[in-house]
Amino acid sequence: MSVAIDPATVSAVTPERARRQKDPKESYRPNWTTTILLILASLTVLIPLYFAIAMSLKTAAEAASGTGLSWPWPMQFGNFAEAWTLTDFPRAFIISLLISVVSVAGAIVLSSLASYAIARNWDHRGFRYSYFYLLAAMFIPFPVIALPQIKLTAAVNLDNPLGVALLHIMFQLSFSVLLYSAFLRSIPHELEESARIDGATTWQVFWKLIFPLLAPMNATVGIFAFLASWNDFMMPSLITADSRLQTLPVVQNIFQQQFNTEYNVAFASYLMAMAPTILVYIFAQRWVLSGVTRGAIK
Amino acid sequence: MPEVPLITVPGSRPFSRRVLLTGLGLGAAGMTLGLTGCAPQGSSRTAIRFVQNKREVIGYFSDLVDRFNESQSEILVRHDDSPVSLVAQMVRGSYPDVACYNYNLEASTFLGRGMLSDLSDLPEAATVQASVQDLVTQYAQYKDQTNVLPFSITAAGVVYNRDLFDQNNVEVPTTWSEFTAACGVFRDAGIIPIYGTFRDMWTVSQGHFDYAAGGLLDVADFYDRLRDEGPSVGPNSETSFQKDFAKVAERMSELFDFSQENALTRAYPDGNAAFANGEAAMYLQGPWAIGEVNVINEDVNVGTFPLPMTEDPEQTRARVNLDLAVWIPNGVAHRDQSVTFLQYLMSPEVLNTYNQENLAYSTLENAPPVTDPRIQGLQEAYTEGRFYQGAGTYLPNTIPLQNYLQEFVIDREAQPFLAKLDTDWARLSQRTDL
Repeated sequence: MSVAIDPATVSAVTPERARRQKDPKESYRPNWTTTILLILASLTVLIPLYFAIAMSLKTAAEAASGTGLSWPWPMQFGNFAEAWTLTDFPRAFIISLLISVVSVAGAIVLSSLASYAIARNWDHRGFRYSYFYLLAAMFIPFPVIALPQIKLTAAVNLDNPLGVALLHIMFQLSFSVLLYSAFLRSIPHELEESARIDGATTWQVFWKLIFPLLAPMNATVGIFAFLASWNDFMMPSLITADSRLQTLPVVQNIFQQQFNTEYNVAFASYLMAMAPTILVYIFAQRWVLSGVTRGAIK
Repeated sequence: MPEVPLITVPGSRPFSRRVLLTGLGLGAAGMTLGLTGCAPQGSSRTAIRFVQNKREVIGYFSDLVDRFNESQSEILVRHDDSPVSLVAQMVRGSYPDVACYNYNLEASTFLGRGMLSDLSDLPEAATVQASVQDLVTQYAQYKDQTNVLPFSITAAGVVYNRDLFDQNNVEVPTTWSEFTAACGVFRDAGIIPIYGTFRDMWTVSQGHFDYAAGGLLDVADFYDRLRDEGPSVGPNSETSFQKDFAKVAERMSELFDFSQENALTRAYPDGNAAFANGEAAMYLQGPWAIGEVNVINEDVNVGTFPLPMTEDPEQTRARVNLDLAVWIPNGVAHRDQSVTFLQYLMSPEVLNTYNQENLAYSTLENAPPVTDPRIQGLQEAYTEGRFYQGAGTYLPNTIPLQNYLQEFVIDREAQPFLAKLDTDWARLSQRTDL
């Protein structure tokens, strides 16, 4: 969709005025096919969200018998209170948050350092091989090594949230290194050379120059690391020994049993667990979207 | 794998983000330590950890634990109700001091490998009904020890709507022909005879498959013979699914026909809702479903009877499972205290009261009969020892019974269904002790 603009008119008005004049012209031509497709697409998110909210406000009887579409009346806000106490929400939430923060920070720092070393020393066989070594970890899913990991973490007193965070960092490492090293190759060497001429050490080059330039990739890696860590069920449930230090997804498992279906309380709890992710997304959706697509192309 | 200290952010130059990250990291570590330090301390009482996480009765057990803690000043029991895998705890070596847990094939591997301590010296071991204690050994046995004491039995049969039975003048059937006749009456009256929830295959496994097998043959004996047969199980072996279960599959198919047309697309919660609203006369479920049905409709008049599979009422059996059983692992730090708490749990007042109040059967000798009319119908079979553990529960998860059942529900081809179970059994027993 390109609008031909006479260079002469553009030069006659200020850039702002030109944009303002262009805007109405575009809004007169809404693309109805795309709009309808997008509305339909948005329903795939909104309808399940509606189900979740409606379900969280129902009584147990309504949840078990009615259709998902009916709106509950009167609304049962007590479900949230029940879920709050059943899961000991504040504690589980703080543990979840700490694990996520540590693993996001760790994944960003550790993988960017590793990728920088690898990308700038690609001629050395050792660095090249260590790159392949790190990538090879992508082929090892956690369940395969779960039991040895349980024994190992217990032996070194890491059978706690800190150990979970460390493992999250390790499991995030290979994918993050892949993203970073691809991106690092696009940063010109000349920038670094000029910093060197000004007397910067390798350390300074990295923190003052490279790391800030990696910002978009940091966002991408951070988002992936956060989602993987926040949503993880299996690792914390197996690694953490003290049941009072479990994360949200694990404590919420209490609602999912074969014989009883407490959907109303379960959904109230799920909504509370989703809330921070949704809030962050609303404020950061610009970076999230650009970050996610950037990851998809590489 | 890189060394642990890598997580701390290196470098000494001022860099705000780094300071922030370090702070967060230290905060996380501190938080962990702080919370771990919350364990009971300062008092002279010995703390033990009691694992029990059956969702429906967590509150009940919390009260029980509180009462025990108040009744004496030596032991402090901490009730751990988190839904966390026992396997991980066992691997890690952080054993629970006492567990009150569902006893199934999976839990029996702890017993079979000698991880649980011997309780046969306790006087409580002698108070358990012998036929109930046999249920434990049907899955696994370690030397001649008694490692697990049954705490609660759930008995399952046909859950039925008493009002619909009365309105259509149907008596509770005691033989297979009476049962099919009853189904016919309901069908003619436009009532679904048996509500089918075939989308949740576990309902077919615990219902149709287990009931038909348990009603027609001695399940424990069948699996004993099958284990002896081992890798040679096949179309020509003495014992095989193809031979012994041919009639079972036939009966299952007949049972399927008594369900509604859309049974394939209905799940367990749909079934509860439909049964609660009086759409169906019968439901092949255990007491766990009764609780759910009553949540939806308190007034539905429910009873239970064991599904007859033969023409002899004396052969009618109920399906049971060891819903809860107590055990103490080997090598716990405070064995004496753990035993004291276990004895408290196994005392007739505690055990019988729990079972009366939770739609379950007591495991003790001379226990009072159940009083709840919703499950009373199974009392006779239970007292007379006519019960079995479901045939499906003997199969390890490595044999995907439910997937095979799904295929069978749809195509009704008994021969390939049973042949697959035979091949799987033979192959599995070649490399492991089943």
